[in-house]
Amino acid sequence: MPCDKRRAAALISFFLIASFVQSSKNQVLVYKKKYIMGTVFEIAAYDQSSEHASNAIEKAFREIVRLDDLLSNYKPDSALSNLNRSAHFHAEKVPSDLYRVIDQALEFSRLSDGKFDISIAPLVNLWKAALRGEGMPSRAQQEEVRGCVGYEKIELASPDRISFRSSCLQLDLGAIGKGYAVDRAAEVLHSLGIRNALINAGGSTIFAMGSPPDQTAWLVHLRDPSNKIDPQVMLKNGSVSTSEQTAPSLLGNDLAGHIIDPDTGTPLKTEFAVSAVSRTATESDALSTTLLLLGPTKGKALIKSVPDVSAIWISHEARVEIVIGGPRILFGRGLHSSISLGRIP
Amino acid sequence: MSIWNTFLVWVFVLVSTSAWSSVFVYWTGSALPPAKELGLNDLVLSWNDSFSSQVKAARKQGYRVYVEVSLHQAAAAAKTGTSGVEGIVLTVRQSERAELEKSLPKLRSAHPKLRFLVLNPDAKQPQMRGSLVVKRDSVLEVSSPTAQPWIDTNLALVKIEQRSHQGQVPLYTFSWGLSDPRQQQPAATAMDYLLAVAEAGAFHADLILQLDERLQKALSNHDAEAWTLWNQVRSYARFYSDEGGQRLEATANVAVVVDDLDTTDEAMNLMARHNIPFKVLLLADLKSGNLEGFNVVVVFAKPDRGVSERIADLAAHGETVVLVDAHGSYLWQNRDAVRLNEHAVAYAVGNGKVLELSEPVTDPEMFAQDIRRLLGKESVLLSLWNGLTTVAVPYSEHAGTLKVLEFVNYAEEPLRLQVQVKGSFASIRYETPEHECCESLSPVRHNGFTEFVISDLKIAGRVRLESNRAPDSPASRE
Repeated sequence: MPCDKRRAAALISFFLIASFVQSSKNQVLVYKKKYIMGTVFEIAAYDQSSEHASNAIEKAFREIVRLDDLLSNYKPDSALSNLNRSAHFHAEKVPSDLYRVIDQALEFSRLSDGKFDISIAPLVNLWKAALRGEGMPSRAQQEEVRGCVGYEKIELASPDRISFRSSCLQLDLGAIGKGYAVDRAAEVLHSLGIRNALINAGGSTIFAMGSPPDQTAWLVHLRDPSNKIDPQVMLKNGSVSTSEQTAPSLLGNDLAGHIIDPDTGTPLKTEFAVSAVSRTATESDALSTTLLLLGPTKGKALIKSVPDVSAIWISHEARVEIVIGGPRILFGRGLHSSISLGRIP
Repeated sequence: MSIWNTFLVWVFVLVSTSAWSSVFVYWTGSALPPAKELGLNDLVLSWNDSFSSQVKAARKQGYRVYVEVSLHQAAAAAKTGTSGVEGIVLTVRQSERAELEKSLPKLRSAHPKLRFLVLNPDAKQPQMRGSLVVKRDSVLEVSSPTAQPWIDTNLALVKIEQRSHQGQVPLYTFSWGLSDPRQQQPAATAMDYLLAVAEAGAFHADLILQLDERLQKALSNHDAEAWTLWNQVRSYARFYSDEGGQRLEATANVAVVVDDLDTTDEAMNLMARHNIPFKVLLLADLKSGNLEGFNVVVVFAKPDRGVSERIADLAAHGETVVLVDAHGSYLWQNRDAVRLNEHAVAYAVGNGKVLELSEPVTDPEMFAQDIRRLLGKESVLLSLWNGLTTVAVPYSEHAGTLKVLEFVNYAEEPLRLQVQVKGSFASIRYETPEHECCESLSPVRHNGFTEFVISDLKIAGRVRLESNRAPDSPASRE
């Protein structure tokens, strides 16, 4: 699965370890990490038994690995790769998770009028080559590939069949798959009795279950390309995802980037990084990409139609646009001095 | 330096490079198992009051003993405390480098029977990091997203050490991170030890491996679990200990030129992380050194007239030279400049070009990607797919064709790795510490490159490449 949410200053000074256990009253905190879906998944969970928490985390990781085997477009034998090979003008039976995630992705496509589009893969691949230094694609190449893109060419037949009304359409779930996997991992933890945990998919999507002992929520710092705002959110049974375009080249022109605008067929040009706070990781993951592509004006309008969502756009020059329909986004080093810049009327 | 001293240095080099990598054990506990049991013969002890008795005991157990001292203690230690000692390990901080240059020849000359090893104590614990932050009040925070897994690797440090101490195999050590700062307990797992040994071995560096106290105790107490762990460490150390008669050099087609050998340089770290094979040079090397085989030269120093003439010459012969934050008037600037972006311009010089970046590297990750792009598709020696947690180092015989690729997977979990290497190779043999020589991998050759798949890279793996003398294999696409 491509690392589709990305970018960041690595401002991390911390202790990093294979696993640790630390006590807090009767709760122990167990932490584990695992490389899956091209990123580092981390789970920190509180429980009375470190062994139980550890086993639960391992089971959650196994669920993510299982989903990666279905949703990866890097693995040639994944269900998605199989679909990409065989669903052109042919209804292919797919596993229920793949059906579900594509179904949800199409909802976001409709909601954003196509800005969020999982059929963008052929264009992404075209521009990936440019990022690798293989030259900029010609206009003719771009036009040819754009003909392969369009979420409306994906047909779902409930409960488990999918077909493409195009001979060259390809799906890439990079903008939603990690979020979906995080939600499923949270379900696994919950089913095993874990109530307070944090699941982190490479920093780009984070889901908070419950809260740490003696705390009201998990404190999550959000991406701030300006290093001046320090936005934070107190998450409890909610998720936050961050999207940002690839940083510009230092020694070349900056045409390339990994997030492609379906309207233009070219890498998105934006000054912002976006964080979307939502109830589920699937939603926050998909929304962060969508909101980055839409920009603040259209993005704010879209959020009005989605309940319990907040979002913040921050530029390198510390320009901030914010919309609060869900959890408050706070600013500054101390939460007491934090301010909220706005709320949907 | 006298002829005798030069001779001694080279004898030392030849002796010290008889293995690809050596692991020295740093032991602080009391009950030391015999060397035969531990399977490693080089032991490092601190210089303290009970040092002499410790040396005696360790020698009885079959060890070659080294004493670790600071640069300031070196002369005294060499004079008074070296009975039965094989050599002296000099812990040298970045700030002591200049002093070392003066002291080391004197020490070697005064004590010709002792080996003097320069130790870089500032290496990192090799690991794949996450982004969770542990705060003292037990609240977990999360910082911003990362583009790809963050890997702490010592490859750049090794390359800098190779230039710093040319007469010695790079030697480094690191302290284990702590699982919980309040408990003050190291978090090293079996996998962590294996990764540490694999990393040093793959980089052809020597490592002083610090054993945490619990492991030392457990080994002393014949704890079965501890010995299972240790036997794995032994097999990893053995995997890198025998060069099999092959004298290999790290291959590089990028030169990184600096005026200060700073092991914390992030741009070099990220280049290592992106599997860009580079060699570190000092500015003076650029004037006189042989720069054949480099496709890109990155200069992090302000060139004087002589160096700028060499740069112009290199560019004229087809190389790409990148000058970073080196404002000045240079020969090539009388040509037309092509502005690449706000901070970068390019000058076409002969068959090559000079790129000037007008500011320091603000984004080392992007800079490394830029250097990879500048190499161009044809000059990239090595590419990995599904290898975001893997660092690979190519080796060749006397700067000739590639012979060996060493792989380290910092995720510590099996990975299916797709590799593309420059050159046409008929035979690809794969070996690991767990399954020594050799599994044959199927090469697919096309357009001067060879591709193959390693189906199961856990932590360490080595690929041996044989050149294409036979007719193309059926799989060939050439």
